[in-house]
Amino acid sequence: MTCNEIGKLIPLYWYGELPAETEEQVEDHLHGCLECTQELERQRSLAAALDRRQMDVNPAFLTDCRRDLLVSLYRDEAQERQKAGADARPFLPAAVSAFFAGLMRYRQPVGAMALLAVGFFAARFTFPSPQVSPSVPAVASTPSDPVFATVRSVQPDANGRVQIAFDETRRRTVSGRMDDENIRRLLLAAARDDYNTAVRVESVGLLKAGSGSGEIRDALLNALAHDPNAGVRLKALDGLKPLAADAQVRKTLARVLETDDNPALRMQVIDLLVEQRDDSMVGVLQNVVQKDNNSYVRLKCEKALKEMNASIGTF
Amino acid sequence: MAQDAAGAVGSRVTPQVEALIRAAQRGDHDAFEQLVRAYDQSVLRLALNLLRSLEDARDVYQEAFLRVYRNLHTFRFDCSFHTWLYRIVTNICLDQLRRRKVRKEESTVIETADGPVDRSDVFEEESAAADPERSFWNRQLGHRIEEALGDLTPRERMVFELRHYQGLRLRNIGEILGTSEEAAKNCLFRATQKMRAGLGEFV
Repeated sequence: MTCNEIGKLIPLYWYGELPAETEEQVEDHLHGCLECTQELERQRSLAAALDRRQMDVNPAFLTDCRRDLLVSLYRDEAQERQKAGADARPFLPAAVSAFFAGLMRYRQPVGAMALLAVGFFAARFTFPSPQVSPSVPAVASTPSDPVFATVRSVQPDANGRVQIAFDETRRRTVSGRMDDENIRRLLLAAARDDYNTAVRVESVGLLKAGSGSGEIRDALLNALAHDPNAGVRLKALDGLKPLAADAQVRKTLARVLETDDNPALRMQVIDLLVEQRDDSMVGVLQNVVQKDNNSYVRLKCEKALKEMNASIGTF
Repeated sequence: MAQDAAGAVGSRVTPQVEALIRAAQRGDHDAFEQLVRAYDQSVLRLALNLLRSLEDARDVYQEAFLRVYRNLHTFRFDCSFHTWLYRIVTNICLDQLRRRKVRKEESTVIETADGPVDRSDVFEEESAAADPERSFWNRQLGHRIEEALGDLTPRERMVFELRHYQGLRLRNIGEILGTSEEAAKNCLFRATQKMRAGLGEFV
C-alpha cells in the first residue's frame, strides 16, 4: 500500500475499526515509514486534545434531571388517566420511590380540587379537637382509633385500685379540601414537623398551591431557609416561584444561594433570581462565581451575569 | 461507559435486562426505574458532550426517557435495548444539532471579564490556573476544537461523538443511526479529516 492509502486508513486504525488483515498491513507499513508514523502521532495528539474536552456528568445535575423526569412522568401518566376517564389520583406506585431517591414524595396534587386525607402521626400536634371537629367534613373518630399513651404516674390505693395518669394521643384521620381552613392549619403545622421528613415534603408540596397567603409564604420561606432535607427545600422553592418578585423572598433566595449545600437547589435559585432581571442581585451572583465550589453553579452564574450584561468579576 | 450499563452493547438483550424490560412493559415501575438508572448517566453524558449546554442536555434526557416510557411496549427484542434507546436519544440530539445549524448559533464561547472563554476551559480552570501559558494554549485549543466540531455535519458529529467519547463500535453506530457500518466508517473518516484540518498546528 502507498503512504496515501495508509494515511486514509490511520483514523480507522487508531479506533481499531480495520479488519485484522488490513490492520496488519498498516502495521507493517508503519514499521518502515517515518512519515506515516508521524501521521499516526498526529492522530494520537488529536485524540488526546479531544479527550481533554470531555465533560462528565455532575451527580447533582443527574439528580436534578431524574427529579424533572419524575415530574414529567407524573404529568404524563395523569394525562393518560384523564384521557382514559380514570380518577386523577396519585399514581406511580411507591416502587418508583427508591429510584428517585425519595423524590417520589415530590408528587403534586392534580389540581386544587384534590381531596387529601392526612394521616397524622402520633403525638406531635397539639390541636384542640373542638376546633377541628365541628367544621372539618368527614371527621373519622371511632373508639377503634389507635391510642398512643405515655404513663406519667401509677398510684395504688388501699382498696386495691390503681390510679394511673397518662398523656393520651389519639391518631385520627381528617379529610377535607385544600381550601379548608383547618386542613390548612394542620398542613402548616405538619410543614414544621421535626421528626418526619416525608410529612414535611408532602405538606410543603401541598401548601405550594396557596403561596399567595402570607402565612403559607412564611412557612415556605422557613422551610427553604432552614429545613435540613433538600427535598423539602426544593419543594418550598417550587412553591415560592410565583413570588420571585417579592423582596423578602428574594432576600431569602440570595441567602440560600450563598449557603445551601445542595448544588441542584442553588442552580434553581439562580434561574429564579435571573428571571426578575434585578440588578441588586449582581453582587450576589458575582460572589457565587468567585466562591461556589461547584463548577456547574459557577458556570450558570456566569451565564446569568452575561445575560444581565453584568461583568463576571468584581473589581 | 455505556457498555457497562446493562450488558454488552450491540448484543441482543441479556437475561437480566430482558426480565426488567418485560416487567416494565407490564407496568412495573420499579423495573422501569432500574432501566433508567442503568442507562441515564451515559445518555446524559452523550447529550451534554454533543450539545455543550446543560439546558439542552436536560431537555434531551427528559424527552428521551419520556419517549421510552411511552413506547416501551413496542420494543420487540429484535435489537439490544441499548441500541433501541440510543436510536431515540440520537434522533433527539440530531434534531437539536440540525436546528442549531439552521440558527447558526452554535457557540460554546461565553464572554467573561477577561474576554471570550470557552466553556470547556471553565471546566478545566482548576488544573490550568497554575500555568498561564498552558492555560492560554488550552484555551486556544479549546476554541479551535469547538470550531472544528461545529464544522462537522450533524451526522458526522454524532458518529464522531459515539465512537470517540462513547466508545461504541462503528457497526453498532450504524445500527443505531439506521445506516451501514461502511457509511459510519466514511462519516468517521470525514470527521477526523475535518478535525485535523481545523486544528492545524495544534496537533
